[in-house]
Amino acid sequence: MNGIDSSASDTVDRRPIITCAGELEVFSALEDSLTQALPQDSCELRRSLGRPVRLVHIGANFIPFSPTALPKESQWDLIRQPLFHVYWTECADVDVYKTAVKDDIESWLKELAAKEISDWLIVVVENYDGKRANKLLPRTTVLDKIRADYAPKQGDRCISVINPGRSETRSADSWRGLVGRVRHLVLVAYAKAVVKLEDHVRHQREKRTEPEWDFMNYFFLQEELAQVLEMLGLYDEALVQYDELDVLFSQFIVNGHIGELANWLHKFQKPLERWHGLKLGPSKLMQNTSFLELRAYLFAKQAHMLLLTNKVWEMAARCLPFLHACVKELILLDITAPSGAVSCWLFLACMEVLQTCNHFNQLDQVEAYFANTATLWAYASQKLRELGELCGLMPGQNPTSEQLHMVVGLSAGMGDCSGRSGELSPTDKLKKALSSQDAFNKNYLELVELTMVTYKHIGHLRSARLIGLEVASFYMLLLETQKAAAFLGDALRTFESDGWHELAAQTQVKLAECYRKADDVRKFIASCAAVSAAPEIDNLIRLSYFDEMRKCLDNLDKSLVVPFEDIIKIINITIKNNNGSVMQDDIMDVHLIVDCNFPREVLCTNIVMTLEPESKENKKMKDKSVNERTIIVKDIKHNSNSILRVLHMQRHLDYKQDKQLSSANVVCKSPPFKRKSSTISPQPCNFDFCLEVTELPLVLTPGINIIRLTKKATDIGKFYLGRVAINIGKLSLISNPLNFKLVIEVTKEEPSLRLDKGENALLFGLEQTMQLFLKVGSYAISRDSVIKLSASRGMTIQHIPNEQLTSSLEVPITNVEPFSTSMTLLRVFAEHSSKDHQITLVCPWSNKPIPVTLSFSPLLAISWRLHTVHNRKFIHVTLLGQTDTKLQLSSSHLDFRDKIKTKALHIDSYDQILEKGVNISYVWEILTIQSSESPPLKAQFSTYYTAIVTEDESTNIDTTTRQFIHHLDIANYQTLYRVEIDVQPTKGNEFCRVGALCNLNLCIKPASHMLDTVEIETSLMYEVLAEPTVWAVCGRTAGVVSFETDMEPQIVVLEVMPLNNGFLPLPLVRLSKYIPADVSTSDKSRKGAESHPRLEPFSPGQVYNVSKGHQVYVIAATVTEATVT
Amino acid sequence: MAVCAAIIGKDNSPKYFTCINPDEELGFQYKVLSSLDVVEEKLNNGTKSGSDSRELYLGLLYSLERHKIYGYVTNTKIKFIIVIDSTNTSLRDNEVRSMFRKLHSIYADNVCNPFYIPDEPINSKSFDKSVKNIMSGA
Repeated sequence: MNGIDSSASDTVDRRPIITCAGELEVFSALEDSLTQALPQDSCELRRSLGRPVRLVHIGANFIPFSPTALPKESQWDLIRQPLFHVYWTECADVDVYKTAVKDDIESWLKELAAKEISDWLIVVVENYDGKRANKLLPRTTVLDKIRADYAPKQGDRCISVINPGRSETRSADSWRGLVGRVRHLVLVAYAKAVVKLEDHVRHQREKRTEPEWDFMNYFFLQEELAQVLEMLGLYDEALVQYDELDVLFSQFIVNGHIGELANWLHKFQKPLERWHGLKLGPSKLMQNTSFLELRAYLFAKQAHMLLLTNKVWEMAARCLPFLHACVKELILLDITAPSGAVSCWLFLACMEVLQTCNHFNQLDQVEAYFANTATLWAYASQKLRELGELCGLMPGQNPTSEQLHMVVGLSAGMGDCSGRSGELSPTDKLKKALSSQDAFNKNYLELVELTMVTYKHIGHLRSARLIGLEVASFYMLLLETQKAAAFLGDALRTFESDGWHELAAQTQVKLAECYRKADDVRKFIASCAAVSAAPEIDNLIRLSYFDEMRKCLDNLDKSLVVPFEDIIKIINITIKNNNGSVMQDDIMDVHLIVDCNFPREVLCTNIVMTLEPESKENKKMKDKSVNERTIIVKDIKHNSNSILRVLHMQRHLDYKQDKQLSSANVVCKSPPFKRKSSTISPQPCNFDFCLEVTELPLVLTPGINIIRLTKKATDIGKFYLGRVAINIGKLSLISNPLNFKLVIEVTKEEPSLRLDKGENALLFGLEQTMQLFLKVGSYAISRDSVIKLSASRGMTIQHIPNEQLTSSLEVPITNVEPFSTSMTLLRVFAEHSSKDHQITLVCPWSNKPIPVTLSFSPLLAISWRLHTVHNRKFIHVTLLGQTDTKLQLSSSHLDFRDKIKTKALHIDSYDQILEKGVNISYVWEILTIQSSESPPLKAQFSTYYTAIVTEDESTNIDTTTRQFIHHLDIANYQTLYRVEIDVQPTKGNEFCRVGALCNLNLCIKPASHMLDTVEIETSLMYEVLAEPTVWAVCGRTAGVVSFETDMEPQIVVLEVMPLNNGFLPLPLVRLSKYIPADVSTSDKSRKGAESHPRLEPFSPGQVYNVSKGHQVYVIAATVTEATVT
Repeated sequence: MAVCAAIIGKDNSPKYFTCINPDEELGFQYKVLSSLDVVEEKLNNGTKSGSDSRELYLGLLYSLERHKIYGYVTNTKIKFIIVIDSTNTSLRDNEVRSMFRKLHSIYADNVCNPFYIPDEPINSKSFDKSVKNIMSGA
C-alpha cells in the first residue's frame, strides 16, 4: 500500500500482548475467534490531559501467563511487554469454585498485584446444556461469587461468556460483549501505560542538561513511545514524537555550537566513514550509530509515518530542509568527511525520496508531484555536478589517478544497496554515474533535463532558466555550442524581460564566448555589441569586446542586422517642420537624439529613419499620435514597458458571520505578473523610403548624439516615422518600430483661380473690366496650358485690349512657376435685357468647369403710361437713373411700326443728364384715327446714352455711346365712353350743404365713333366709389345702363350727401362691362351658358372721365336747420 | 543578520540590491531572481484560496544549503527579498518579519521623497545606509 517492502528482516509482531491464565484449554478453544474478532471494529481510546478521543483498531497476541514475563517497573519497551492479563475459567458450580478455582485466581491476582498491575479480566465461560437450561436460576452464580470476591467495585473486570461453540444463537450477544470488553480494557491499559511512559519521557527530557544524560538512551525511550502510538495506529502522534526528537537533536547541536557541546554529542563527532544512502522503509538503528545514520534513521521514520498517513508530498517537501539541516549540522559538529562523501549522501537521499515519490505519482497528483519534487531534482543535479567536478568527470577533463582513487573511496563508502524490484537503487545509479565520463554526462543531462521540465511545469520559469545556465556551461564544456547558445538565449530573454540588466549582461558575455567558440561571427558580433554597450560590465571587458566587434566587422561579407536593444537608446525624436506638415518638394527635417552606449566612438556609414506611408492599420494608431511633434524617451518607455500600467484594483469586503461588514479593502486580484512575450525579431522593413543623414560619415560618440535626418518630400501623403537604422559598415543596428507614432504630412497646394469685379457693382449695358487672378500651387503647371472661359448668352468677354468681345475665349497661363500669381484683365459686357450671367472657367488641372455667377445691375429704369384727353392719346415715358454713373442721353425717339405718327410734346433739342434717382420724362401724342377698334400698337423707345466720366474716376469706364431700346405694346387704347358727373343741390336749395342730400347726375355717353360700330358691349355697370369720409351715397350706389336700343347718352340721378364742407372732389364712378346671366339667343358671340352676371373692367383709356378733377363747393350746415330737423 | 536585501518592482525588475559582501552580489542576484518564482506562485495561489490578503509577509520562499530566502510583498506588488545565512541559527521568523517591516517603512519614506521617481532604481545613500542598518539587525 505504501510501497515499502514489508518483507524486510525487521518484522516485529506489533500487536498488544495479552497473557492468559486459568483453564487454558477453555481459552484455546476461543483463541482463534477472539484474535480475529478483536481488530474488526474500532474502539475509543480515551486519554487524560484533555487530549481528543481517538478511534483505534486493536489486535492482540495471546501468550500463556508467566510471572517472570511480567513487566518490571523500569521496563519501558511497552510493545514487547504484556500489558493485559486474562483469567479464564469454565467453572459453573459455586462449590467447585470455592474449593479450587478461587485459590488459583487469588494467587494469579497476587502475582499481578506484586507488579502493580491492575489491568486484568476474569472470564467465566458458560456452557449451556439441556440440563442447566431446565433448572431454576441459581441464587448465586460463580460469576457473582468472583465479583464479590475480587472486584467489588470493578464489576467490569469480571465477565461471563456463553461458549459460542455450543449455542450460537444465544451466545452472539455475550460474545460481542466479551470482545468489546477486551478491547476496551486493553486500551485502558495502554492509555494508562502511555501516560506513564509520557511522564517518564518528560521526566527524562528534563534531565537533559545533566552531564551524564545520553541522547541515544532518551532517543530509544521516546521512540518506544512512538512505536506504541504507531502500534495503536496513531501515526500522526507517532510522527510528533519523532519530530520532537528531531528538533531536540538539532537544538542540542545549535546550543553546542553556541555554548558547550553536550558530552554525548562528542560521540557523533567522529569522522564520517560510511555514507550509505538513505533508505526509506523499515530500518533498524544500530548501536554506535554515526551522525548521518541517526539523521537518516530519524528521517526514514518520519517519512514512514507520513507515508502511513498518506502524506507523501509532505514527505517530499520535508526532504530538502532536512538535507540542508544535515549539511548545516555536519558543519556545526565539525564532522570531517572525505571530500564528496557528503555530496554522495545528499544525492542518494534525494534520489531515494524522489524514487519513492515516483511510486506515488498518480495521475491526479501530478501537480503535487511536480510542485514538491522540483527543488529535489535541482538539488540532486547540483550535487551530482559537484561530484563530477570533484572527480574530474566533467567534459574536457581527464580524471587524475587521485580522482580515480576518490571515486573508488566514495563508492566504497556508499556500501551496497540493492534496488527494489527491477529498479536500480540510487546507490547503484550513482556508482554507475561516477564510473565513467560518458555515464556521468548521460546521468547529469538526464537529471538536469528532468529538473528543468519540472520547474517549467510548475511555472518556475526563472529557476528553470538558471538551471539552463548550468546546462549551458556544461554544453560549453562538451563543445556543443549550439545547445549552449539556446539555453543562454532563453536565460537572456528571461533576464531582460524581468529587467535584471546585470544578469542579462553577464549572460551576454557568456553568449559571446559561446559564439566565439562556435565561430559564428555574425552572432558573435551581435553579442559583442550587446556586451560592449552594457554599463553593468567592467569597462575593460567592454572595450575588449568592442574592439573585437570592430575587427570582425571588417571581415564581414554580408550585412548584419542587430536590434537596438540597449545598445542605442532613442531619447527624443522631433519633427522640425512646421506642425509636421511639409509642402511637396520641401525638405522633411527630423532631429533624432540617441544615447549611444558603445564605450568608444564609432564611425557610422549611414543613419536612416524609415517613413511608412499611412495605411489602414496605421490609421487606427492615429488616435495615439495626436498632434505631437516630439517624442521623448518617456513616451517610448511608457508604451513599451507600461511601467505605469494601472493595477486592476477591486473592492473587497469582509463580512462577519452575522452579515455585518467587518472590513473593506481594495485588493489587486491579478498581480501584473504576466510575462511579456519575448521580443519579436525585427521584421524586414523597407529602407527605400527613409530620412537620411546628409553629412556622412558620421561619428557616434558615447552618450548623447543629436542627428539631423532630412529628405526631400516627393510623394504626397501622411508618413509615420518607422524605425531607425544605424549602419556601421556591414552592421546595421535597427530600432524597434516606434510605438508612439509621429506623423509627417506631405501636402501639395492646388492652383487657384479667382474672378474679381471692381469696387462697383457690375452694370448692364456698359463694358466693364474684371480681374482674373491665377495663383499657381505647390507644383508647376505645363507651360502651354490655357484657361478656357465661356460666357452665358447675352454677355461677351475679351481679355485682349481693343479686340472684339466674344462669348468664349482662352486665356494662356504665362506664369507657370510654383506659387507665382498672375492677373488678367477681362472686359465684360452684358446686354440690358438679360438677367444674371455666369462665366464658366475650365482649368487644365481640373476636369470640372467652374461656373462663376455674375449679377449685373441695370443702368436705368423705364416706365410708361397712356394718357387720354377725350379721344386723343398720349404716351408718357419716364426714365429713372439707377447708378452712380452719370449718363448723357440724346436723341430719344418713339417709333411705331404701323406708320402711326407721333408728335413729341417735349423739347428734344438738347442732351439730358441722367443721374441716380432723377426722372426724365418724354411725352408723345399718338396721332391715330379714332375708331371703335384698337389694333395693338407696337412701339419702340430708343435713346442714346454715354457714360460721363468725372475727372477723379478711372478711365476704365466705357464711354462709348450706346443705344438703349425699350419696346412698348399698347392695346385697347381707344376711348369708348365718356362719363360726366355733376353734383347739384336739390331743388329749392342754392348750395350744397353738409348733411343735406344732393343730386348726383351721372351722364354716360358713348364716344362719337362708337355710333358706327355694331359689336360693342351695350350693357354697362356703374358704381359710385365715394370717399366714405367725404360722401355718403344714399340709395343706389350702382346700376346697369344699356345702350342696346339707342346710343343716346344715359343720365342717372343718384343721391349723395356731403359730409364735409369746402371744395370737395366729386365721387368717382367706375364703369364696367356688364354681361348678364341669361344670354339672349341672338347674342351668338357669347359661348356657353352663364348662370351669373359678371363684370369685365375696361382698359385704361377706354373710358374717359370728363369730370375728373372737378370739385363742388359745399357750405356748412345751418345750425338752426339742424336743430329743426 | 541578513546577507542580502533586494527590492523588486512590480514588473519584477530590481530597484535596489545590496549585500554584505559585494563580491557575492552576482550569485545573490541569481538566487533572488529565482525566488521571484515562488513569490509569484504564492501570490497567485494566495488570491485563489482567498487567504488573508492583508498579510504582506510571505515567509520563507525557499532555502538553500547556505542561505534562506524570505519574501514580503506590498499591496502595490513591490517585493522585498531578504537572504539570511542559514548557519545563523539565532534568527527567528519574527525577527525576519520585523526586518521586512522596517524595510517597508524606509521604502515608503523613500517613495515619499519628491526627488525619487517611483519605479526607478533607488540610489539614495541614506536609504542604502538605513537598509544596511536593518540588515545588520541594528
